[in-house]
Amino acid sequence: MSKVEFKNAQKAFGAVKVIEGLSLEIPHGSFAVLLGPSGCGKSTLLRMIAGLEKLTGGEVAIAGKRVNDVHPRDRDIAMVFQNYALYPTMKVRENIAFNLEIQKLEKREIERRVSEAADILNLRPFLDRYPKELSGGQRQRVAMGRALVREAGVFLFDEPLSNLDAKLRAHMRVEIRQLHERLGATTLYVTHDQIEAMTMADIIVLLDKGAIVQVGTPDEVYEKPNSVYVADFIGSPSMNFFDGEIEADGEEVRFRAANLSIPLEARYRGQAGKSVKLGVRPNDLHFAADGAFKGEVILSETTGAEVQIHVRIRDSDVVAVAPRTERRVHGEAVALSVPPGKVHIFDAQSERRIEPQ
Amino acid sequence: MSAATNSGIKRSRRHIGDHPLPWLLPLILLLVTFTIYPFFYNVWLSFHEFAPLSRSLEYVGLQNWSQLLGDTRFWQSLSITLAYFVVALTLELVIGMCIALLLDADEPGFGLLRALLTMNLVIPPAIVGYMYLLMEDPQFGVISFVLQMFGLVDTSTPILSSPSLALAGVLLAEIWQWTPFMVLILLAGLRSLPTEPYEAAMIDGASAFQTFWRLTLPMMWKVIAIAVLIRGIDLFRVFDYVFVMTSGGPGTATYTLSYYSWQQTFSFIKWGYGATLSLVTLIIVLVVANIFVKFAKVRW
Repeated sequence: MSKVEFKNAQKAFGAVKVIEGLSLEIPHGSFAVLLGPSGCGKSTLLRMIAGLEKLTGGEVAIAGKRVNDVHPRDRDIAMVFQNYALYPTMKVRENIAFNLEIQKLEKREIERRVSEAADILNLRPFLDRYPKELSGGQRQRVAMGRALVREAGVFLFDEPLSNLDAKLRAHMRVEIRQLHERLGATTLYVTHDQIEAMTMADIIVLLDKGAIVQVGTPDEVYEKPNSVYVADFIGSPSMNFFDGEIEADGEEVRFRAANLSIPLEARYRGQAGKSVKLGVRPNDLHFAADGAFKGEVILSETTGAEVQIHVRIRDSDVVAVAPRTERRVHGEAVALSVPPGKVHIFDAQSERRIEPQ
Repeated sequence: MSAATNSGIKRSRRHIGDHPLPWLLPLILLLVTFTIYPFFYNVWLSFHEFAPLSRSLEYVGLQNWSQLLGDTRFWQSLSITLAYFVVALTLELVIGMCIALLLDADEPGFGLLRALLTMNLVIPPAIVGYMYLLMEDPQFGVISFVLQMFGLVDTSTPILSSPSLALAGVLLAEIWQWTPFMVLILLAGLRSLPTEPYEAAMIDGASAFQTFWRLTLPMMWKVIAIAVLIRGIDLFRVFDYVFVMTSGGPGTATYTLSYYSWQQTFSFIKWGYGATLSLVTLIIVLVVANIFVKFAKVRW
């Protein structure tokens, strides 16, 4: 059972604290994505599991065993690096077999595992080539093959798709996920790309400045972001935000801002009088003649099946995603509405989600 | 109208292109004066010999070349040069690599250590020769003293005067002075290696030796080849240490090719034969270097 745990883990580079007292448990067999912007400490966290960075405090455990002082080779891990880290002077075959040779496995067994990995990753035609003779995507697959043959309990991926073009990235996402299903190992995957996180993860661990901001399934993180930071980070295009106040007037509870008044669910009654931030996902905004958001179309971007329509409402810009048939022209006056259950309310000061009972 | 005012850069570039000679002339003059003319003069000289009676150079045909083939002194000096070359290059490379690996770290103080390496290199080789001449002196030399302490030599066998030890005595100076050169080049190579494959090797479980053998050495191959080439060419013309420390002696124990050519040319005033010897040295260096370049797959 290769679950991965951090207990009050700390990491500092000199005086710079990168990770401060982080605790986390990734259950065996799950695909966890460590997500966050550049410099949030996600790669450091991964390297701490790999044993490439020493912890300055706390504990990291694999399969229930503290591994702080265990050599990387003895941690039962395999890792795919951002720049692949292939051995440049070895052929693809040797790259994949290197670990097995070190383990002194039988030649026949090495051959079997290498060709199995080559088949899974479509690398057979490239086995006798050097890394420099391969394209980015092929190198990426070699790096995965090298991790694959180890049959490790934990797979670590450090932004493995960041050097690939968009199409290949989408393809590799599927391959990595399928590989995970096939192997059943615990996978930790670092990325700054929220689409990768949403599409691949069982669990998303969203990080900011070396601390965990939210842990949850992609649905939880998307549906119930616990802070403005999470709400803003997850989802593309980003959530629209409005500053205002909650008002209760008789039966009605409303969010009110300058020239904006939106009905809310009655359960927000207890929050009346509070200064809040209201968040609406672009695809929860719909065109409706009596919509509360009234403004003027300033830009319409077609992404294929959908259009992203930028609407200027007084001094703020709002993005709505609509089917392609709902195309609007520049300068057109439009009104948008949002179903009451689809708004997200955050405290204006703490920026934490308000979730009344 | 001048080219510059006419139509900018493109025009002025074409102007140079039309008349390249004025721009190339200084370089051509330098090359002709200091490289091409001396080379051909040397070739011409190898078919002549200085006649002391007429005090002029007389044509002797292939006499110098045929003399060379039957000259045991020449073959002896060639084999001594080769021995010197092989031992010095091997030791400088191996010791140099060991020191470079030790110094390849970012701990405090290592920068200073790396800077100190250049100290050996700034001393003129002739001075190093004198230093070692004194240090290997059987009466008061520190090296002799230490070797005597371990019973490796005794006062009756002065290092530089015993035929079996003299070459090793000269090699000491050579290796002391030039190993840091190897260290510098190899260290520059080591410091520019990517770190990620090493991290991958760590996770793959490679030992320090496996990492060195399977990763570092192959990745360093081109750097090593260049270092070997530069040092190798230099070693073939070893002269200073021999001149200062042993004058080729005792007997012919340290008689290298370049020392022999120098002696023929300037001591015995056999200009033609001296020229022939130096040409042969050049041919050997060119052939060996080119075979090495081909074999080592060094691409320039």
